[in-house]
Amino acid sequence: MDATILGFLLLDALQNGVIYGLLAVAMVLVFAVTRVILVPIGELMMFAPLSLVWLQGGKLPGTLGLALALGALWALLERGRGRGLPLLGGVGLLLLFLLARGSPALAYPAAIFLVVYLGVASYRVFFQPLREATVLAYLIMAVGLHVAYQGLGLVFFGPEQYRPEPLLSGEVLAGLSWQGVLVLLFALLAVGGLYLFFRLSLFGKALLAAAENRLGARLCGIRPEEAGMVAFAIASLLAALAGLLLAPLINAAYFMGFMLGLKGFVAAILGGLLSYPVAFLGALLVGLFESFTSFYASAYKEALVFLLLVPALFFQSLRARAVEE
Amino acid sequence: MRRWLVPLLALALSAWAQGTLKVGVVVSATGPAASLGIPERNTFLMLQELLDRQGGVAGRKVEFVILDDASDTTQAVRNTRRLVEEGVVAVVGTTTTPASLGMIPVVAEAKVPMISLAASKDIIHPVDAQRFWVFKTPQTEELMARAIVADMVARGVKTVGYIGFNDAYGEGWARFFEAEAKAKGLQVVASERYNRTDTSVTGQALRIIARRPDAVLIGASGTPAVFPQRTLKERGYPGLIYQTHGVANPDFLRVGGKDVEGTLLPAGPILVAEQLPSAFPSKRVALDYIQRYEARYGIGSYSTFGAHAWDAWLILKPALERALKKADPGRDLAAFRAALRDELEATKGLVATHGVFTFSKEDHLGLRFEDAAVMVQVEGGRWKLVRTFR
Amino acid sequence: MRYGWFLLLLLPFLLAPFPFYLTLLNFFALSGLVALSLYVLTGLAGMTSFAQAAFMGMGAYATALLTVKAGLSPWFGLAAGLALSLLLALVLGGLTVRLKGHFLPLSTIAWQVALYILAGNLVGLTGGHTGLTDLPPLVLLGFPLDNAFRYGLLSLLVLVLAVLALHNLRFSRLGRALLALRGDALAAASFGVDPAALRLKAFLLAGAMAGLAGFLYAHFLRFVNPTPFSLEASIKYLVMAVAGGVGTIPGVLLGAALFTGLEDWLKDLLPLLLGRQGNYETIAYGLVLAGILLLAPQGLFPLLARFLPRKEGSLPRAEPLPLPAPSGARGEVVLEAQGLRKAFGGLLAVNGVFFALRRGEILALIGPNGAGKSTTFNLLTGAIPPDGGRVFLFGKEITGLPPHRIHPLGLGRTFQHPHLFPELSVLENAALGTYARTRAGFSRVLLGLHGEEEARALATAYRALKRVGLEGLALEPAARLTAGQQRLLEIARLLASGAEVLLLDEPAAGLRAGEKRELARLLKALAREGYTVLIVDHDMDLIMGLADRVVVMNYGEKIAEGTPEEVQRNPLVRAAYLGEAA
Repeated sequence: MDATILGFLLLDALQNGVIYGLLAVAMVLVFAVTRVILVPIGELMMFAPLSLVWLQGGKLPGTLGLALALGALWALLERGRGRGLPLLGGVGLLLLFLLARGSPALAYPAAIFLVVYLGVASYRVFFQPLREATVLAYLIMAVGLHVAYQGLGLVFFGPEQYRPEPLLSGEVLAGLSWQGVLVLLFALLAVGGLYLFFRLSLFGKALLAAAENRLGARLCGIRPEEAGMVAFAIASLLAALAGLLLAPLINAAYFMGFMLGLKGFVAAILGGLLSYPVAFLGALLVGLFESFTSFYASAYKEALVFLLLVPALFFQSLRARAVEE
Repeated sequence: MRRWLVPLLALALSAWAQGTLKVGVVVSATGPAASLGIPERNTFLMLQELLDRQGGVAGRKVEFVILDDASDTTQAVRNTRRLVEEGVVAVVGTTTTPASLGMIPVVAEAKVPMISLAASKDIIHPVDAQRFWVFKTPQTEELMARAIVADMVARGVKTVGYIGFNDAYGEGWARFFEAEAKAKGLQVVASERYNRTDTSVTGQALRIIARRPDAVLIGASGTPAVFPQRTLKERGYPGLIYQTHGVANPDFLRVGGKDVEGTLLPAGPILVAEQLPSAFPSKRVALDYIQRYEARYGIGSYSTFGAHAWDAWLILKPALERALKKADPGRDLAAFRAALRDELEATKGLVATHGVFTFSKEDHLGLRFEDAAVMVQVEGGRWKLVRTFR
Repeated sequence: MRYGWFLLLLLPFLLAPFPFYLTLLNFFALSGLVALSLYVLTGLAGMTSFAQAAFMGMGAYATALLTVKAGLSPWFGLAAGLALSLLLALVLGGLTVRLKGHFLPLSTIAWQVALYILAGNLVGLTGGHTGLTDLPPLVLLGFPLDNAFRYGLLSLLVLVLAVLALHNLRFSRLGRALLALRGDALAAASFGVDPAALRLKAFLLAGAMAGLAGFLYAHFLRFVNPTPFSLEASIKYLVMAVAGGVGTIPGVLLGAALFTGLEDWLKDLLPLLLGRQGNYETIAYGLVLAGILLLAPQGLFPLLARFLPRKEGSLPRAEPLPLPAPSGARGEVVLEAQGLRKAFGGLLAVNGVFFALRRGEILALIGPNGAGKSTTFNLLTGAIPPDGGRVFLFGKEITGLPPHRIHPLGLGRTFQHPHLFPELSVLENAALGTYARTRAGFSRVLLGLHGEEEARALATAYRALKRVGLEGLALEPAARLTAGQQRLLEIARLLASGAEVLLLDEPAAGLRAGEKRELARLLKALAREGYTVLIVDHDMDLIMGLADRVVVMNYGEKIAEGTPEEVQRNPLVRAAYLGEAA
């Protein structure tokens, strides 16, 4: 291997790692606040660019109907003033989409808003009623949603991939496109933004408190439902933005989400499902493994990536040893 | 459960009383092979409408019972057993090789003829006690690999690299392409795999480029086949790029755009039906199919996979007509199935969209290389016929 | 009664006119077997595995390779398949059962993905993604099992035998221990359960069951390729088990039946409902799953079970296990702490604590909050290892031994917050105490050969319940007990265990005055019989009226020791503790 190849592989590792990292951070956030392992995050991520492509083609995507249907259920579950949010959001979403059909500039915010609304509605309809369920029950629910959303993705968008136009075309240097730079910048911004949000804003601190001590937060008057919705909103926002920025690089299709989510989950676990920076580092590590194994033994890539996890997990578990009580 | 089984059975019996011919269809309408399976299903839906208008075969109504196997072996086997139980006269399907292989013991045990829509030669070769019942319509990888290698040799290629799906599709191509290439004196310098869900194939592309092959074959289907090609181009690979006939659908061109310009691929004649010389046997049949499919599903919507399903019916229909003269499915289903199988095997010189089918006791593929494969190149975002082998 | 499961074997005869339903029946039996393996893992032992399909794959590929490539009999394939899945379980389990929390499920995902890719890429060995064809049919007593009817008899028989074996397991010392382990590993270990070893055994059992299912799968389809052994398949089995109710045997079977049928019913139903062909099955499948969880987070069966008549258990009538009566001279040292030291971070929680516990006495360990009482308690019982110092039990050094090794030597403990298992009955909770005094291992239990010992264990537990006055509630679920009754049940569990040295952590917390008097009377009676009691509590009135001697701690050190009157007079104690309390 020469220096050029090494350079390409490192750049490749960085780009993949950053994608997994964003998903990992979103999953850590959601898990910490709600105990939900957000398996369908990959589908949410893919819904954004696919809806965008549909809008740019002047068509209304099926995801709009899904979001509105879930929003209606959400409104039904709420009482009194609580209904304002889903109803206003739903009407706004519909209007935005009708407007965006004609103007490409509006298509981006429309797709983002759709995914965020869908994410929050999914939490309100499917997870919140479970309340104090076990992590396993949440996980199975998440798997059910993943299956349903993936199936819906196939019905809405068909089996093939789509490639929206990149925001920026061309390459900065060999191996790194401007769009790739955009992805890296966004990742930096997102992680930095989350850091500031949790350190500086009162609401962010409260959310973090809810994440670290659910009972304590409840005693302090932070409603866990609210915290859960915000966590889902942030996670879906990250997924939507990441999806839109990535789609020109990796092509978007209904089936692309699951593996991305799974690797993000792997990275999140490397971060112990608790620490944002470690999860992000874990994601970069997964990206690195992947890049090099795809060069040396592509057929066994996934096997090697996942097997290399085992010693990492073992080490982590040893380190985390304490009284079993 | 039994409570509604009885009416179900009664329904099935009443259907027989009216002389309906049931044909079972298993396709992968969901899962990884959906891009191939959906046009196949669409073709049968279209056929159903057509037959309902025309009044079926030999005065009998024909009903296609279409089941999705989600690209999964277990489901395919379950579906097949279910179809056999529902009294189908034949089973068509399924889309993928492993699932088709899984169906073979089932149809052999039940003595039901089957026409697979999957690629591998293993499905029909050798014609043993089980494969006695099995036929198939798509070209084998072996046949298509022959076309690719012939084209490579003609273009003076000495060394080749291969990158394909890490699944049965990519594996089948690796096996037959590499064997054919070696037999014709080409040197295979790299054999890589990737997944259709991968977000990067940079590692594989770099490895292939480092070996400097004159040509690269990408063994993948549908739009995910664009990805390695684009990466190879971006990393500055200067040589020829070949794809398989698995990409022969309009979405590949849409997603590929400039990146797939100049791509070479083998295909069934239907892909470039208009450009075929008028003496080419499949031309008229293929144009007929394209016109019907586009009338039903939109201009530019046709793919070669749906045509495999159409071919299966083209073979099945005359065999059904002949078998109906020998046995009555309403009276003795087993005898009719056996007769149908014999008539399928007796198919001779049947012109279909992908070639001319002539089955025999030893050959359940029935296609001749010269009629079944052409070389095509992507030019200006369209499929362009490069050469035929006739 | 439970042999009613054999009625399942009638199904193939009932369904004989509908061959397709026979096929479904076979798939039900196979998924049922895998779902049962998850009952062992998740329902009993509280572990989540995403690798059950990989174990199936081991069983399936082993027999496929031996029969197709080597031409051997499928029964060799079965042996090899079981051996291989056990080996995998041993490697995987050995590495991972000690992992806590999310690490175990994630590492099973890792193995699952890796093995799937190996099966698809070792083309020379496994036939790659294309798979291996032409497996021979099974032949049993000269009958080839080459159709769904005959095969269904075999697969259902295996399923029923597995159900009975697991029923035996659930109602045995091992079943109780596994359930205890799931709820609270430390409590289980304090009664002699070795957590890692027992988890590993559960993992092995579950692996072997899935491997067996894989063997049956391979010879039913007579074809193997990697897709049925993928991560998606593993998730499907987990979904079945959880949606049906992973905590019960009928629950996991209900889930297996429901989801096996669901896929086909949806294929019938959806085109009728929607009026067209489409790809709607998976969507409906996902939504049905979500619906089940919303309605019944514990799974469907617990929801249905509320409407079923509750089965009344019966009280044990067998002869209790022989009780090793406390023996030895009163006043001899039974438990001794020498210079115990423990630091958490920079904080010295316990620093050089010496004391001795003598047979037949009630010794109280007291001190203000944060004095190090509970840490000392945990050091004595092995819950945490000391940094320095030594502990002797009956003259034998037990320093650094884990709780499950200390308990059988004759030491038992209770917990500050009662560690009971609410889903078990009061009697079963008490019977957990007999774990270390009984012997039946997995093979005996699964074969149902543990009946006599089990009856005697329950009788022992019942006798202990009588002793504390809870016999009237023996068959109630422990969740129904009041706080005071929970304390008594913990003591009954100790008595059933035959421990002579009883370490009680705040046994009077949360009790009403009457209950406290009751407790004091019981403890005094036990001490008279030769039991030795070490008690940690805050309640000065109780301690002063109950204890023979008192050890006072403050800031991790012992500051006084003597009779209650002596320590009450001690100025150090008054300053540190009584003064503070006043």
